[in-house]
Amino acid sequence: MPDAIEARQLDVGYGGRQTAVKVLTGLDLTVAAGSFLSILGPSGCGKSTLLRVVADLLDPLGGTISVLGETPHTVRSRRDVGFVFQDSTLLPWRTVRDNVRLPLGVGQRSLTRKIEDRSTELLELMGLGGLGERLPHQLSGGQRQRVAIARALLGEPKLLLMDEPFGALDEITRDRLNDELLALWRRTSTTILFVTHSIAEAAYLGERVIVLAANPGRVVKDLDMRPFKQEGNRCKREDPAIVAAMADLRAALERAS
Amino acid sequence: MRQAPLSPQMTVALPVLGAASILLAWQYLLPLLGVPAYIVPTPTAIFGVFQRNFALLMDNLRPTLIEALAGFVIGNLAAVLLAVLFVHSRVLQAAYFPIVLFFNTIPILALSPIIILIFGLGMTPKIVIAAVICFFPTLVNMIRGLDSASDNEHELFRVLSATRSEIFWSLRLPRALPMLFSSLRIASATAVIGAIVGEWIGSDKGLGALIIQATFNYQSDRLYAAIVLSSSLSIALFCIVVLIERRVIRY
Ligand SMILES: Nc1ncnc2c1ncn2[C@@H]1O[C@H](COP(=O)(O)OP(=O)(O)OP(=O)(O)O)[C@@H](O)[C@H]1O
Ligand SMILES: [Mg+2]
Repeated sequence: MPDAIEARQLDVGYGGRQTAVKVLTGLDLTVAAGSFLSILGPSGCGKSTLLRVVADLLDPLGGTISVLGETPHTVRSRRDVGFVFQDSTLLPWRTVRDNVRLPLGVGQRSLTRKIEDRSTELLELMGLGGLGERLPHQLSGGQRQRVAIARALLGEPKLLLMDEPFGALDEITRDRLNDELLALWRRTSTTILFVTHSIAEAAYLGERVIVLAANPGRVVKDLDMRPFKQEGNRCKREDPAIVAAMADLRAALERAS
Repeated sequence: MRQAPLSPQMTVALPVLGAASILLAWQYLLPLLGVPAYIVPTPTAIFGVFQRNFALLMDNLRPTLIEALAGFVIGNLAAVLLAVLFVHSRVLQAAYFPIVLFFNTIPILALSPIIILIFGLGMTPKIVIAAVICFFPTLVNMIRGLDSASDNEHELFRVLSATRSEIFWSLRLPRALPMLFSSLRIASATAVIGAIVGEWIGSDKGLGALIIQATFNYQSDRLYAAIVLSSSLSIALFCIVVLIERRVIRY
């Protein structure tokens, strides 16, 4: 099985090739298929930019990147990638259910496999049963984020990119959604890249945590969390080993900022 | 400090009372102040015209209604179609939008005689004037509306490999609807203005013609009745737009 992501000497920036402001330079990153990777880094260091390149929303300026063994473009046009944005990006004129069904309504032509309308099941799974007919503005922030996740899952992506999906939520809701996300991940073989500003969240969720630094954007810390966790990426938030790892990550993050 | 909101009954009752007080003052105070009836006729005198000359008023309402409605539909439709074209072709937009912008700076009163020269004296030039007057605000609003989806929304559709037409129907168009409707609401009034202006310049039928004739003949009760009728026409159009908007936009 190919790695989920393999980036070599990746340069990424905005603006034309000549005038570009480089955000990431010489980035090397390998992410094993089926793994859960947390990404930490100071604001503006290029975390979202990295996800954008993986999702083929942005072309790299140099270096190579393969996603699931192929080009990002191939993978995106086959719709093997799911993206959850920081703000849920629900369409306000569609009901919750119709938002979840969006992957059925658009882009079907490029789909080689058949995806089913699992909206009822997914709404139930995300604790949204009974809210299907509501409009997004009638939901709380946490509920909206769950809808966004359900929508991404309906497309059955092999690779799920999550850009600070729980950034705007209170801690209790965030912790609960963390557990739901882990449960989901265990049940599927999806690879997850999870960007967050919370060290605790990164450590709790990730089998591995990387810390990016800014100017130029690069990996300054790459921490394997599996030694600190039980099988299935399980751990207690207050476990001393996890707390020690968090201190380690905090130090790296402070150096990176 | 913010005032407490009004109860539902009061929100209906107060405007009605307000209008009634103005009408009463108009009816009884203005004659007392010595304002002659040929300048401002009383409400009852105006109402009298509706009773005596109902057929005349309706005969003149009909062409104005048709012109305003046809102009409204044609002008807005043209604006929407052009906006769709523009957002899909930046080249066309760059080439032709400035010209549209230039045309918009010509006052409609200056443009109207030309339109009448081109289209003659029938209903057509009035429809064209009403259409022209609706066209520009809708074009601008529709372009902005079709472009108002956020970067994230576009990226969401790109991740799903949506086609251009899917992006149009499922994202751009629904995003544009609130702005489209706000310009349609404005157009419901301006379309009537356009039709009436057209009738002023060259017609013997319609509310605009009636207004001109009544003015020249010092039939001020008839003049005021025509004004009441034309604003009722705008209000009716406005209400239809709002009703449709409420059904279409539920969020
Ligand atoms: N569309 C764009 N055009 C030009 N520059 C951009 C664009 N988007 C981001 N940048 C720049 O690229 C750099 C990295 O941005 P990015 O959004 O990837 O940061 P981030 O790590 O996700 O930050 P945050 O934690 O605040 O979300 C920033 O300096 C930003 O100013
Ligand atoms: Mg970001």
